[in-house]
Amino acid sequence: MKRSRNVSLVILGAAAFGLAACQQEEQTDAAAFPDMESCIAAASQGGWFTKEDCETTFAEAKAVHAETAPRYESKELCEQEHGAGACGADSVQGSGGGMGGIFLPLLAGYMLGQALGGGRAMAQPVVPKAGGGFATPSGGTQVSRLNSTGKMSTSAFTKAPATVGKPPMTRAAVASRGGFGSSAAARSVGG
Amino acid sequence: MDRIALPERPEWRAKAEELGFTFADMHGEPYWDETSAYAFTLEEVEGRIEDPCTELHAMCREAVDAILSDEALMERMGLPRVRWDFIAQSWAEGAPEVYGRFDLAYDGTGPAKLLEYNADTPTSLYESASFQWLWFEDQVAARVLPDGADQFNRIHEALVERFAEIFAPDTDLHFAAMAGAPEDYATVETMAWAAREAGMGAHYTDLESIGISEDGQFTDAEDRVIGTLFKLYPWEDLFADDFAAHLATAQCQFIEPAWKALLSNKAILPVLWQMFPGHPNLLPAFFADDTKGLADAAHLMLAGHVTKPLFSREGASVTITTQGRVLERATNRDYDRHPMIVQAYHPLPVLGGMRPVIGAWVVGQSCVGMGLREDAALITQDLSRFKPHFIEG
Repeated sequence: MKRSRNVSLVILGAAAFGLAACQQEEQTDAAAFPDMESCIAAASQGGWFTKEDCETTFAEAKAVHAETAPRYESKELCEQEHGAGACGADSVQGSGGGMGGIFLPLLAGYMLGQALGGGRAMAQPVVPKAGGGFATPSGGTQVSRLNSTGKMSTSAFTKAPATVGKPPMTRAAVASRGGFGSSAAARSVGG
Repeated sequence: MDRIALPERPEWRAKAEELGFTFADMHGEPYWDETSAYAFTLEEVEGRIEDPCTELHAMCREAVDAILSDEALMERMGLPRVRWDFIAQSWAEGAPEVYGRFDLAYDGTGPAKLLEYNADTPTSLYESASFQWLWFEDQVAARVLPDGADQFNRIHEALVERFAEIFAPDTDLHFAAMAGAPEDYATVETMAWAAREAGMGAHYTDLESIGISEDGQFTDAEDRVIGTLFKLYPWEDLFADDFAAHLATAQCQFIEPAWKALLSNKAILPVLWQMFPGHPNLLPAFFADDTKGLADAAHLMLAGHVTKPLFSREGASVTITTQGRVLERATNRDYDRHPMIVQAYHPLPVLGGMRPVIGAWVVGQSCVGMGLREDAALITQDLSRFKPHFIEG
């Protein structure tokens, strides 16, 4: 026999990647909005979330943003990561803050997700990314546009570590990226 | 070898879509084509493809050793001198190889001839390992293929075994491809699937999102340190990127290892011919500026010759010359500036108006399966079609 005895059917775009080696992450209904009004307008069209969900998740997203948004030692550094005009000075009390102040990306919108097994809708803030699109404070989940709905892994709603009260990121702490890929001769590099 | 018309599975397009095989049609043309398939005998597969390719890989390993101990040969490889130590170190450490694909010309009579070795970033892994297999099982179930039929395809199983052999259970592996290329992503994902089946943690990152930490280690899009990186991105391009400066100090194990840059390189063809002249699976090959070698070998190139750049993908910048005239010239000339090699022209067979190239997959150090691509043109380029095969029972 030349052939494999047992081959699992590889399904592309499904479950090959993930933190848990063997278990597929659970997916839930999710939506992203730039503000509470857009959410409420969408809720009035019917669907899995209500006006009240929009209000409670927005309040939670604002609080989570204040607590976990990435904080930078300069506006320039913040804008490098999040885009021009996307950053403001930190106004949260107890945020340490040296001479130069602390800067963080402004809240660009929020995501809400249906809690599996019922319960309160889950919330996460999103901030702009340099070069377009939005991301949760950890950067772990990215959404290309707001006013959108779809399926999302429940782990997208995991709260990032708190940054409030911690020293802001210096230039050295912001990982340099983009050092690979510029030499590709064609769109598809395989042969 | 024969090309046999077969009924298509009625639902294959729906199946392809369901499985995420989104590039079954590309550039408005079918890429996966099962209106016909290639039939082989078992003797043919074992004696003409499998054993020769396992031997070719062993010869390639000998060639790597020879090149790394001969500065004049190393000069020929078209790789930056500043990375030579890094390449040599990967070989000295015995950094393990995972996969590669030999492209062969085979007409069903004589020995298969090596056209080139995609030893670093071969694609079409998903079609070869998985979708081709599904075709085979479906066609046996539908009695389109007889019960005794078989397929030369233990690619997936061999990959799982290879990952388990190289890495301790639960090792975290990162997989990277350039963003926005579904064919590349499919190959990476198929590879990651095998790694997970072998008990590894598999994480994806776009190649462009890789960062460097304060300690000089590579990090993924979520700032996790990359200990092992499968990169579907050619070494010669990696060496030219800004982060190449960190390669030697990043404490990162690469798949494929850096020494594969010597094999996924047309310069290996003249080196092999020099080391194993007259080997039945090799075509005479010379560096383009080796005028004496070429003159002495004129009698070996009566059918014509093919000029190929050291580094090119999908036939780019390849030119076929017969009797002093250009017979065919690849339309994509992106690699024209690169140094060239000259290989004896060995015409591909023509079956049903199409010219097949056999892709023989090597996993670890053994040949474990194959897939075919065919093209109406003389040079197999990116509009070629993938064809399934079976072994007659």
